[in-house]
Amino acid sequence: MFSLAKQFAFTSMRQTPAVRAATIVGSRPVLSAKRFYHERVIDHYENPRNMGSLDKSDPTVGTGLVGAPACGDVMRLQIKVDDGGKIVDVKFKTFGCGSAIASSSYITERVRGMSLDDALKIRNTDIAKELCLPPVKLHCSMLAEDAIRSAIKDFRTKRGGDVIHGAKASAASQSMAA
Amino acid sequence: MSLLSDSIYYEKSSETLERLTESLEDIGDQMEIDDYDIEYSSGVLTLRLGIKGTYVINKQPPNKQIWLSSPVSGPERYDFDSEHGAWFCRQKDESLGTLLNREISDALGVEITLPVK
Repeated sequence: MFSLAKQFAFTSMRQTPAVRAATIVGSRPVLSAKRFYHERVIDHYENPRNMGSLDKSDPTVGTGLVGAPACGDVMRLQIKVDDGGKIVDVKFKTFGCGSAIASSSYITERVRGMSLDDALKIRNTDIAKELCLPPVKLHCSMLAEDAIRSAIKDFRTKRGGDVIHGAKASAASQSMAA
Repeated sequence: MSLLSDSIYYEKSSETLERLTESLEDIGDQMEIDDYDIEYSSGVLTLRLGIKGTYVINKQPPNKQIWLSSPVSGPERYDFDSEHGAWFCRQKDESLGTLLNREISDALGVEITLPVK
């Protein structure tokens, strides 16, 4: 499913050139921007960071799944968290437009190495700014923010509460394994 | 996800976007603002306010929602509340009309009231 989406999205991106057409209106030249993908979005699309999956049943892994096929975007974001509450691994898979793919790819880059609390501070506006998303694509950045929150919520639910450093966390994982 | 029927969703969302388009066109005509542009097609309303940014308000039929992209507050999704006859967003519990009145009045520097709750 994901590779098919990538093929389709790839074709449509190649047919949309990065063009600014200059036309003359009255005596002034007027620049009208045709729709285009920012080079940062294209970079994430062609070189996605952290694409893949983690073991959903692993107690140290939180899985976030957001969006809906009917809307055109689905994101799955997984985080692996150590006993210190730090995100030590992160993977994503996204079905959707170039901006959705780039938003989720970028957020995985950002959260790697972060504490869960710091990861929760990432706002969709940060993502949109970094990728220079146009107004109609701001929703993709919101979805990526939803995805990391969903993954963290899943992880915390699995652990039966907040991850705390050291002993308490290991006790929790031991009782889950039992 | 809304429990609205497809036909009511279609009726309410069309009504809202058409009213917004009409009143925003009138405002544009009355005020003669630079770089002001409004376009409504295929269920997507685009309001350009020059350096103040661009608003995109569109129907999202699969969710029976209206989606907003604001240059001030970012993206938001609205569900129809039949009881109040208005579109409300999930987090801030504020209606679409309230937000647009506030932000567009701010952007234009003059108090406007749109015919949308």
